[in-house]
Amino acid sequence: MFLALNEIKKNKLRFTLIIGVLMLVSYLVFFLSGLATGLENLNRESVDKWKATAIILTEESDKSMYQSSLAIEDVNEIDAEEIAVIGQINAVAGNGDSKTNVSIFGINKDEFIMPKVTEGEVFVDDNEVIASDALKEDGFKVGDELHLSSSGEVLKIVGFTDNARFNAAPVLYGDLATFHRVKFGEAAEANKESINGIVVRADELTAITKNDSLESIEIETFIRNLPGYTEQNLTLNFMIYFLFGISAVIVAIFLYVLTVQKISMFGVMKAQGISNSYLSRSVIAQTFILAAIGVAVGFVLTLITAAFLPSAVPVAFDLVTMLIYGLVLIVVAILGAVFSVLTIVRIDPLKAIGG
Amino acid sequence: MAVLELKQVKKTFGSGHKEIEAMKVTDFSADRGELIAIIGPSGSGKSTFLTIVGGLLTPTSGAVIINDKNLADLNEKERSKIRLKEIGFILQASNLIPFLTVANQLKLLDQVKKDNMTKKQLEELYEDLGIGDLRTKYPADLSGGERQRVAIAKALYSNPSIILADEPTASLDSDRAYEVMELLKNETKNKNTTTIVVTHDIRLVGYCDKVYKMTDGVLVQEK
Repeated sequence: MFLALNEIKKNKLRFTLIIGVLMLVSYLVFFLSGLATGLENLNRESVDKWKATAIILTEESDKSMYQSSLAIEDVNEIDAEEIAVIGQINAVAGNGDSKTNVSIFGINKDEFIMPKVTEGEVFVDDNEVIASDALKEDGFKVGDELHLSSSGEVLKIVGFTDNARFNAAPVLYGDLATFHRVKFGEAAEANKESINGIVVRADELTAITKNDSLESIEIETFIRNLPGYTEQNLTLNFMIYFLFGISAVIVAIFLYVLTVQKISMFGVMKAQGISNSYLSRSVIAQTFILAAIGVAVGFVLTLITAAFLPSAVPVAFDLVTMLIYGLVLIVVAILGAVFSVLTIVRIDPLKAIGG
Repeated sequence: MAVLELKQVKKTFGSGHKEIEAMKVTDFSADRGELIAIIGPSGSGKSTFLTIVGGLLTPTSGAVIINDKNLADLNEKERSKIRLKEIGFILQASNLIPFLTVANQLKLLDQVKKDNMTKKQLEELYEDLGIGDLRTKYPADLSGGERQRVAIAKALYSNPSIILADEPTASLDSDRAYEVMELLKNETKNKNTTTIVVTHDIRLVGYCDKVYKMTDGVLVQEK
């Protein structure tokens, strides 16, 4: 640590450049992780809010709630601690000023997937809905009447709830009758038993239903099968993991060049009896200091940037994830320093003193 | 008793018809308080001698004994420890660490050597070598003579029994060279160490107790 700190102190510009590069890499990693989390939340936050174990869909729906069609009476074939039925349809909703894609959930308000209202009231009458508070950013407010693209029904926002987006669309929660009217129009009465799925909380999923046409899908599996969700996560995570590799290579190159420049000095020190382990520990300590400062500055810069980002940018920073990524960056930087350590170990002190 | 002994030491490089005898069979010994010069032209085998004595090069045959320890019986880690504890090196271009101040050059040794000097001993070392005012300076800010004095201070740190100096005056003008040799002579006597100076500059031999000449790998005592 002594050598490491003194070298950094003497060569401030050189090491500031290395810290700067590490800072930019960590900034990019933190920002991408925030983007990944934000986009994940766009897809899944309404489902996470259920705190459910599984969802029952028809076997032929291929894990897609939209494609699944059940009857309310199918509930009788489900053996679970808690059960909630759900109908779902996508639509474009407009209040006259703005239009947006929405996902309409038809639910029973006395079942466990009923969200808490953060503003306004619970739906009571026909065509009343609770909306995701994400719609407030688009100018929607309590009392707004929503005209739907695929239906003649007009919905009325009576309240808002938080964390309510499904597959990137804000959710409108209404009762099943409202859902049926939106989905089936004049045929609503004839289809009043129709739902898309049954959400359950259960300890054991294997014997949850004996109906072969139904399939119980764990919530995490259900989310992974949302259109585009896995592909989007894989892409962003691939970029993050790639950046880990890049940062290791950058640190390795920088430190290797610095080490090569100091081969003669290290050789003299080895000739004087200073051990490989002391010199190696010094390089590792130096890398740790540089990486820790770079990551810390990148972290702070990310938080500052996040504070100024428009709300339309889907970023959500999870401190635990950022902490883990920060630690991984420091670890890969230290791995990058291993090349320098190997170089130091291989230095022949005899050559260094011109023997 | 001899601090350093070479018994029938020989060093060859290569093999067969390409074999080069860099140092022919050599016997040598040095006692405490002796300042010894090894002189000879370039390529005569002086550096081979120095690196063998310093435990950096393993002889082809024979024994190098430092304070009763035969270097041939030690592994690289143990030889490294001997270099750290028993030998002080002074090299041609001083080879100070560029990013450490003079004080930190010595503080580094304080960290890696276990038998540290007391504050009083350290102050004496600064005073003896006249480098007390240079403590906060970096090597780049020092003159050639000052750098070499700091290098001597490093070599003398925690009183090693042997000082090995490889052309310590090569980069200095005559006045500075004599100054450095005077310093080495004084420290050798005051601290009762054994100092071996390898040089091709015969003007310096006057400072030495013994002078050996190396010619084509053969070491012969001249004084």
